[in-house]
Amino acid sequence: MKTAVRMLDNVIDINYYPIPEAKNANQRHRPVGLGLMGFQDALYIQSISYASYEAVQFADESMELISYHAILSSSELAKERGAYESFPGSKWDRGLLPQDTLQLLKEERGDYLDVDMSSKLDWTPVRESIKAHGMRNSNTMAIAPTATISNISGVTQSIEPMYRHLFVKSNLSGEFTLPNFHLVEKLKQWDLWDEQMIDDLKYFDGIIAEIDRIPDEIKQLFPTAFEIDPEWIIECASRRQKWIDMGQSLNLYIAEPSGKKIDQMYRQAWTKGLKTLYYLRTLAATQIEKSTTDINKRGLQPKWMKNKSASSEVEVEREKKDKPVVCNLEEGCESCQ
Amino acid sequence: MLKFEEEKVEAPAEKEGEAKSTRVNVNQKRLINCNAVDVNQLMPLKYKWAWEHYINGCANHWMPSEVPMAKDIELWKSDVLSKDERRVIMRNLGFFSTAESLVGNNIVLAIFKHVTNPEARQYLLRQAFEEAIHTHTFHYIVESLALDEGEVFNMYNEIPSIQKKDQFEMKLTEEMMKPDFSTDTIEGAQKFLENLIGYYIIMEGLFFYSGFVMILSFHRQNKMTGIGEQFQYILRDETIHLNFGIDLINGIKQENPDLWTPEFQKHIINLIDQAVQLEVEYAEDCLPRGILGLTAPMFREYVQYIANRRLERIGLEPQYKGARNPFPWMSETIDLGKEKNFFETRVTEYQSSSNLTW
Repeated sequence: MKTAVRMLDNVIDINYYPIPEAKNANQRHRPVGLGLMGFQDALYIQSISYASYEAVQFADESMELISYHAILSSSELAKERGAYESFPGSKWDRGLLPQDTLQLLKEERGDYLDVDMSSKLDWTPVRESIKAHGMRNSNTMAIAPTATISNISGVTQSIEPMYRHLFVKSNLSGEFTLPNFHLVEKLKQWDLWDEQMIDDLKYFDGIIAEIDRIPDEIKQLFPTAFEIDPEWIIECASRRQKWIDMGQSLNLYIAEPSGKKIDQMYRQAWTKGLKTLYYLRTLAATQIEKSTTDINKRGLQPKWMKNKSASSEVEVEREKKDKPVVCNLEEGCESCQ
Repeated sequence: MLKFEEEKVEAPAEKEGEAKSTRVNVNQKRLINCNAVDVNQLMPLKYKWAWEHYINGCANHWMPSEVPMAKDIELWKSDVLSKDERRVIMRNLGFFSTAESLVGNNIVLAIFKHVTNPEARQYLLRQAFEEAIHTHTFHYIVESLALDEGEVFNMYNEIPSIQKKDQFEMKLTEEMMKPDFSTDTIEGAQKFLENLIGYYIIMEGLFFYSGFVMILSFHRQNKMTGIGEQFQYILRDETIHLNFGIDLINGIKQENPDLWTPEFQKHIINLIDQAVQLEVEYAEDCLPRGILGLTAPMFREYVQYIANRRLERIGLEPQYKGARNPFPWMSETIDLGKEKNFFETRVTEYQSSSNLTW
């Protein structure tokens, strides 16, 4: 973390600034944004579902730890390189850490704030360091979307839940198939990883809820973005926000959007103290017919159709029954010879 | 089941002094040859699947002008694309630009009149509008790339491989246009079913599919991505067209089982086999020397693979044993859910905002 903050601080001096205003502002305030990616990986490794209190707890504790060291590192850099120019009078200077500012927000909003204010670490060393040396950077943390770099470094995106267990990342560089390796590993342990499973994953759009062969205990551990109630994602972000001096690029997901649900979700994000949000992802009403998997064997009507048509009664014979055997006498019988 | 010799069910006789009773009895609703209920009254619904297709079509609403074409224009004007690659793109623009109009015209002029059910008609109206949007798309592409519109829109007259496919279809429309055509006889109703199969199964279900692969193959290599995206929207619509068509065909078969004779089935299988041949010829004409990732022989197996699917979905035996999809990359191009970058591209995973409930 120390090295990361030092590197980010270096960038401010090395960077190319296209306009003098940007250069001035950056050199006066020296903001950096240390974030994290692979949150979902960390949950998988600990066998924690994103939709759980354990995940909320982990979001809180892991961010507190990052915050503690990010701020301390910046303060130690101030000792070595000097505080940023506009430090005097700043919240840091007034002894306010991100978690302390929640109290200010509470006073301003009254009942419209519902955040957890607990803390696990002893922050005295950080406070004392800031008092002694100031801060090198006006801002230290921000959660970036890491949409592309997470793929390059082979971890899950930012603080996002798994989008789907098999999906395509589509961007300007092309389209990339991404499987969830944690799930593949788990299915291998249960001896469930085979051609049929890949076909099922394709058919069910990378969601395992409807695949009967997969036991419930795996299903509970592997919910995907659209299956997780947005409350969990917001609650994790709320705990994290307590420790972050800037915002989070937080994507939200609703499979079947309604005005009411969207309204509730955004209000909740606000009362939970989030400073920022990012995309709202939804799903299309229907899909393009799948081309590389045997769709007919799963029924002639597409899976989004709620109403039966006559097509549902058309029988598709897939497993051709072996032709009836004329003679079932074992080898060795000589009757026909 | 409709018995052709029997008298049509009459609406209850009106009594003097009373308003004419026109309340719809849902059980009297029929997909074709329904003279018992008023086709102007949508409710109560009998064929809820038709209404559902209509709602889904509306939720998928899009317009071609929403898709940015700047990268396509840049690439088209550069010398990156080979002559053979340009041929593939031009042939497909040529085929689709008129094909979408043929489908639209067939709905309005040939199918609509004979489908005697208001909820199915509701979808037909939606589909007809979508065909107009698709035709609009090709106009938009031609305009964006500054192509010779005379060349593109006349290919169905001037390029034999396209002309043959279109004439195959136009013949089916003409049958319906004869002044004495009616679905009242078994022969007439079979002709109508043949038209539905010709358009939904063959035109939209088979003739469109080699073209889709060719354009998606460019998209996969990050070439002509605007056209690629337009095609992805079109494909999403086509999937519903096809499914509605299949439901309509199977519905008519179920209500009128005497239409589905062994001879008629043989006739349909034969028709689809002719179409497979025409489609293979079309692919050969588009790809005389092949381009990166695509050669004409691959399309024979692909078209057969698609034809097997289509046959099965109207209750016929697959005819092409062992045919498989020779393009495994289609898995990532269309089969899997996509997570797109909002900053870089228009996200296709959405529903029109008018669909939002409160």
